[in-house]
Amino acid sequence: MAMRQTPLTCSGHTRPVVDLAFSGITPYGYFLISACKDGKPMLRQGDTGDWIGTFLGHKGAVWGATLNKDATKAATAAADFTAKVWDAVSGDELMTLAHKHIVKTVDFTQDSNYLLTGGQDKLLRIYDLNKPEAETRLETLDDGCCNVCMVFICVLIAVSVCALHSALAIHSNIMQPKKPKEISGHTSGIKKALWCSEDQQILSADDKTVRLWDHATMTEVKSLNFNMSVSSMEYIPEGEMLVITYGRSIAFHSAVSLDPIKSFEAPATINSASLHPEKEFLVAGGEDFKLYKYDYNSGEELESYKGHFGPIHCVRFSPDGELYASGSEDGTLRLWQTVVGKTYGLWKCVLPEEDSGELAKPKISFPETAEEELEEIASENSDSIYSSTPEVKA
Amino acid sequence: MVQAQLSIVPKLRSPGPLLCRILSCKELTVELQRQEEAHKKKDNPNHPSRIMQTPLTIPVPVRRLPRGPDGLSRGFAPDGRRAPLKPEVPEIPESQESLESQEQRARAALRERYLRSLLAMVGRQVSFTLHEGVHVTAHFGATDLDVANFYVSQLQTPIGVQAEALLRCSDIISYTFKP
Repeated sequence: MAMRQTPLTCSGHTRPVVDLAFSGITPYGYFLISACKDGKPMLRQGDTGDWIGTFLGHKGAVWGATLNKDATKAATAAADFTAKVWDAVSGDELMTLAHKHIVKTVDFTQDSNYLLTGGQDKLLRIYDLNKPEAETRLETLDDGCCNVCMVFICVLIAVSVCALHSALAIHSNIMQPKKPKEISGHTSGIKKALWCSEDQQILSADDKTVRLWDHATMTEVKSLNFNMSVSSMEYIPEGEMLVITYGRSIAFHSAVSLDPIKSFEAPATINSASLHPEKEFLVAGGEDFKLYKYDYNSGEELESYKGHFGPIHCVRFSPDGELYASGSEDGTLRLWQTVVGKTYGLWKCVLPEEDSGELAKPKISFPETAEEELEEIASENSDSIYSSTPEVKA
Repeated sequence: MVQAQLSIVPKLRSPGPLLCRILSCKELTVELQRQEEAHKKKDNPNHPSRIMQTPLTIPVPVRRLPRGPDGLSRGFAPDGRRAPLKPEVPEIPESQESLESQEQRARAALRERYLRSLLAMVGRQVSFTLHEGVHVTAHFGATDLDVANFYVSQLQTPIGVQAEALLRCSDIISYTFKP
């Protein structure tokens, strides 16, 4: 008997979800972070979608979010001109990195020592997360101080300036890493920046180009031009591949040479696509609210799923490939199974003979009316009222 | 049953490689769903595709819904899964802990070590000492739930080599392997 996909809806955000990222597989499972325009990125358990915590602190829409490999740190990029680094276990803010314009994208290196940021100021910045602060600030203040001292010969004034200087130094003692290395060259706002080739190179996408930079020399190695706006980019380390979406196309390129490998056309404008870790399938979502699943080798459309109420902004496969998550304009995240009917996470395969007494009755989540869906969201939010058998919405 | 389903396939799809090979279960499911979609499109192009029309598909059951934010705090519960990342300093003095729970912990630790040792054995050459001074070697495959039988391959016995075999654990006195 064929089974139909039941997506799991993770609610909690009140505005569109614009970015999401999975961590690697840790001894505690894997985790998912979602960036939302409400300014409150959330951390969730990756296989169930259970909410773990919300990172509070940003004062504007969060455009990008990422986790490091072992999910101990999180980084977010926001419209309040800052990127923040968080402790993903306690939820505390570790660092605030000030920028000159909206920050759109953040990425950790494999060893979590460096953070790459990019945004509307068209600069790529690399922060060393291990080198804290104040010495550098003191140095810059020192130069100014000396100049001031030379002008004001009077000892009294010199003393007061030094006092002010040390007061300023103490004030600047919030966690600020050393001044970042900057890479310029983009001519429009950077939408996505990623480390690649074992953190030796950097890939960055702006509106119409994708550029490859060398980390050591900080120079551009190669670039690709597109006629249409690039909507997303994903890097796959095994196989050094890039998935780029623009217009209705989903294109695969080599991450080393940027040469095209293949590309598919979808029925609608695609905002994001993700390739399965074993490179068997890819999923893509876009403006028509649907998620498409394609066979990677043949390019055949295998499935399309309706469920979201708004354009899909991001889709990502989990690190084990068992599920994929989609974030949408409707403010929800949905988790979808790769193999429909398999027992995994909260999905439970029921054989016809089994008495599914202990199971929740299948929550048929297809939307008939908007009100019912809102009811569903409301009931999901009031967490304490989970009965053992939630009523089936007929 | 499989035969009957195979015969449906060529009618809707243009003859192709599918005719020449047996479909796997996954491919059959995909094919059935695609036929469903095609039927629906043929009958009624405006029909919403999610409502249960045909008896063939049932939605995957779920245990429960994902938990959402509690609305009261920012989360990251101190007693959450990952909270004590640093090894817990035992705050309770040892004497106050019941002997029972100590023993339980010791048993759990030993059991975990044993299970991990079994995992480490998989795929390796193991030598078993059986009754009557018999020694055999084999590649370890797996054990069953109660560790009553060991599934091994290439079992070298005094009367020849068995490609696959089940060794009864009650017959084994000891076994040894190099990790």
